[in-house]
Parts: sequence; structure tokens; C-alpha cells
Amino acid sequence: MFNLKYKDDLYKFILSIFVLSVISVFLIAVAVILFYSYPAIIRYGFSFLWVKEWNPPKEVFGALTFLAGTFMVTFLALLFAIPFSFGIGIFLQEYCPLFLRGIFTVIIEMLAGIPSVVFGVWGVLTIVPWLRESVEPFFDRHFSSIPFLKVEENIGYGILAASIVVAFMILPIISSITKDSLESVPKIAKDGALAMGATRLDVIKDVSLPYALNGIYGGIILGFGRAVGETIAVVLLIGNQAIVPKSLFSVGYTISAVLANTFTFAVISPIYASAEVELALILLAVSLIINIVGRNILNKVIGGRFNRSQFGGG
Amino acid sequence: MAEQDEIKVNVKNLNFYYGNYHLLKNINLYFKKNSVCTLLGPSGCGKSTFLRTLNRMNDYTEGAKLTGEVLIDGKNIYDKSVDVVELRRNIGMVFQSPNPFPKSIFDNIAFGLKIHGIKNREFIAERVEKCLRYAGLYDEVKDKLHKSAFSLSGGQQQRLCIARAIATNPSILLMDEPTAYLDPASASIILDLITTFKKYYTIIIVSHNIQQAGRISDYSGFFLDGELIEFDEAGNFFTRPKDKRTENFITSRY
Ligand SMILES: Nc1ncnc2c1ncn2[C@@H]1O[C@H](COP(=O)(O)OP(=O)(O)OP(=O)(O)O)[C@@H](O)[C@H]1O
Ligand SMILES: [Mg+2]
Repeated sequence: MFNLKYKDDLYKFILSIFVLSVISVFLIAVAVILFYSYPAIIRYGFSFLWVKEWNPPKEVFGALTFLAGTFMVTFLALLFAIPFSFGIGIFLQEYCPLFLRGIFTVIIEMLAGIPSVVFGVWGVLTIVPWLRESVEPFFDRHFSSIPFLKVEENIGYGILAASIVVAFMILPIISSITKDSLESVPKIAKDGALAMGATRLDVIKDVSLPYALNGIYGGIILGFGRAVGETIAVVLLIGNQAIVPKSLFSVGYTISAVLANTFTFAVISPIYASAEVELALILLAVSLIINIVGRNILNKVIGGRFNRSQFGGG
Repeated sequence: MAEQDEIKVNVKNLNFYYGNYHLLKNINLYFKKNSVCTLLGPSGCGKSTFLRTLNRMNDYTEGAKLTGEVLIDGKNIYDKSVDVVELRRNIGMVFQSPNPFPKSIFDNIAFGLKIHGIKNREFIAERVEKCLRYAGLYDEVKDKLHKSAFSLSGGQQQRLCIARAIATNPSILLMDEPTAYLDPASASIILDLITTFKKYYTIIIVSHNIQQAGRISDYSGFFLDGELIEFDEAGNFFTRPKDKRTENFITSRY
């Protein structure tokens, strides 16, 4: 009666329920966010994206300052993290002795698991004083004529502090994906170049990197996704002022930081809350798009390995 | 024994280990200038590994260890003073499966010339065309030289790799089953090419095809479990093998 066939169907049924409930929670969350941001979308339209002023008492809401802050932190963090990640990935895969490779790989993966608030605290304790006492005075003395490098307040907090710490947070993702992509380059392809009398550097430049490039793009995009949404570390470091940052050393604000700081007050006024939920919607849309693009690239390159390890099953 | 100055590659007491696994056991043989030598033997007997000892491709293999000597033009290539990169520039190699670079068809062949420091564009273009013709590939690819090499079929890729290996004019050509991926027509082009090319090169080929080997060889060697069982002129090797095991193999009993 209760034979294997039925048992199988039962398992399938139960598992489907699990899967469906996860999917529906996600869809409900999206629906709720759309629902609550609707009043602000209607009232402010596209001007929400380019108005600079964020003034809850006057009910003037424009996201430009947060968009600019988010963009700058993300861009700078990638700019700092990418060269180092490439270096680390290439070193681990191509030059590191085998017994050290395992140890370094574990250390880098552990770095990825450190909670972001810990990174934030570390940034406040080390990066901020360093910027305030060494870097900012130096730039103030030598580069004060360049607007983008102008030091306005010399407090250490600001765009640069946040970007440096976020760079450390995305470094493990990008470097371990760089390493994995290089690892998946077929040995025989590299041998072909070596046999022609190529140096190891030639091989990396002309064979390994072109092979691994798509995977590395995927890693960069995942790093981008993490940088865009990073919250706690940024709250602690960016200075939290709704201005469009004009310099590397300016204070600023990001979408995620303003939500973390003010959403509890915002719920008092429906339109204020709605404007903040619209910020969340923008963030959600950006990170979703970026993750989908990144994963697609990675799947093509490392045959879905990444996806599986993330979601526990094909 | 051949005259000393006719010998291009001389292998003396060569032993090769993968970790504790003693794969190649005391190999002694030589390859004469402008000759074609085929190496035969069942799968896993160490033919590819042996071929790779001749241009030190096992250098980066984890746990690989080697004793003995490989003399090329009288000089031991395992000597400390030898520059491996320099050594390999003089030796072309074709692998068991096609391994084009992630580049255009043109750049695959130009790659060797470029890393050898040749910059003259006209010379490179001429050389690319010539090598593609030698490998019997030119007519098939002349309109898409700047397309990715991965857009070619497996057999075309292998011929591209052969063209690539001869582009830099090496004096030794190592080929690991160069025709395994080819249809009979293109295999035949390659076999003819090999026969023509021994004028310029010393050619060493691993083969699984006894008939093909018989057609092109001047010398032949038979490996079994990492030992060189027999090595002789092709005439003797294929018609009057001295060892029973060689005879069994060439009459296809392995
Ligand atoms: N990197 C390696 N580490 C350890 N063992 C290896 C390695 N490469 C090859 N071997 C082993 O050495 C033996 C010989 O391999 P090799 O590739 O030289 O054989 P072959 O004669 O070329 O075989 P085939 O005709 O199938 O190509 C095999 O048993 C193989 O498993
Ligand atoms: Mg082989």
C-alpha cells in the first residue's frame, strides 16, 4: 500500500512546500515594498532620483545624496579591492607553494565570514585615526587645490573611510573567485603555452586570464552587490550627512545607512515612511539585477558550482 | 650505434617518478637528426610522460622526480645551467588533445613568434599563412583568421596546434598522438607533412595507430609498464621484432 513510489511522491510534496514557501516569502516581501513605496512613487515620480533635498518636516524627498554616496562608496571600494584581489588570486593559484595555498585560502574565506559590524568597529579604531592623523593632513598640504582631493573637515570619517573598509569586506569574494576561475583553466591549455617557451607570466597574461576573465567579471559583480548593500560598517564610518559628496574626504550618506539610522522614526509619517521604502526598493532592484547578472556569468564559467554552494542543491 | 654527430637527442639511464610511483625505468635510447621515431605502447605505459621529459614539461608537476640524463646536441637539458624557457623554444610540441589558446586563429600561430621577440608584422603574417598551409588548414580558415580558435572543430583545432608548433621553426618536434582527433583525410595530410618535415626536424611521435606508425617511422620504440622493451629501425621493428611482447603488441594482442 504505502510503497516506495508513494513515499517518493510524499517527499517531493513536502520539499515542494518548503521551496514554495521560501519563494512566496520573497514575493510577498517584494509586494509589500512595492505597496508601501507606491505613495512616494506617485507623489514624487522620477524627480525622486535627482532632487538633492531630503527634508522630512517639509515632506520634500529626493534621493540624490544617498544615491551619490552609495555610488561613490561602491565605486571606490571596487577600485581599491580589484587590484589587490587579482594579485591575491593570481598569487594563490599560480605562485603560492601548495602547502601554503590551503592555509591562505582558509584565511581569506574566514575573512569573508567576519560580521560587518566587526569590520566597522575595526575601521573606526584604525582607519579613521590613520586618515585623520596621516592621510588627510598630507593631502591637505599637497593637494588642497584639487577639488576631488580637498580635505574639508579633517575628521577621518567620510567616503574614503567607508570605501576602504568596504574594500576589505569584498576583497575575499573577488579574490577567491579570481582564484577559482584561474583554477578552472585547463592545465593542457597552460602547458601548450609553456611548451612554446612562454614564461609563467606570459602564460598568465595570454592564457589563464583570458580563460578566467568571465569568471572574474562574475566575482566583481558579486563584490559590487555586497558593496552596494553594505550597511553597518558604512553607518559607523561615513559620517551620515545627507549631502552630495564633492571630495574623497567628504562625509556622506548611503541608501542602506539612512535606512538603518532613520527608518524607525520614519514610520510615524506615512509619506516619510513611503519615501524610505522607495529607497529600499531602489536598493533591492539594484542588488537583484547585479546578483542575477553575476551568477549567470559565474554559472557559465564554473558550471554552476557557485550557485549550488550558495543554495544547497541544483 | 649511430655516429655521435648524427644524434640529436640522447637519453641515458632515465628514471621518472610520480611521488613514490616509479613510472619510467632506466630508459636508454637516442633519436637521430632528421628522422621520424614513433613510440608505441598500451595506454598508461608512460609514453606521454616520457615525451614530456624531453622538453622538461614535467618540471611543474607536483611530486615529479627524475634521474639520468637527456642530452640534446650533446648537452644535458637537466643541467642546472640550462634555461628551460630557452630550451623549449627550440622544441615544438603537439599535445594529445587540441589545446588552442583563447585567441584568434591568427594569434594562436603568431603567439610563439611574438614571445620569441619577433615584431615584423609582414614576416608574422607570411609565417602564419605558410604554417596553416603546411597543416592543411589554410583553405578552411582563410576567411576567418581573426575569429576565435574555439570556433573550429576538434580536428581543425588539432591541425591549428600543429601549425602553431612549427611556426617558430624548432629543431625537434614532439607529437603526442597528433592524429587521434583527425578524420582519415586530415590525418593523411599530417602524416605526409611529417614525412616532408624530417628534412628539417627531428620528429618524435607517440602513436596508438600501428599502421600509421609503420608508414612514417624510421625508428620505433615499444614501451610497456614504463620500460622500453624494444627500440630499433622501423624495418626490423615492424617485421622482425626481437621481443615476444613487441610482437604481440604490433599484432594487436594488447
Ligand atoms: N601528474 C601525475 N601524477 C601521478 N601519476 C600520473 C600523473 N600523470 C600520469 N600519471 C600516471 O602515469 C602513468 C603513465 O601516464 P602517461 O600519460 O604517460 O601514459 P600514456 O602511455 O601516455 O597513456 P595513453 O596512451 O593513455 O596516453 C599512468 O598510470 C598515469 O596514471
Ligand atoms: Mg598519453
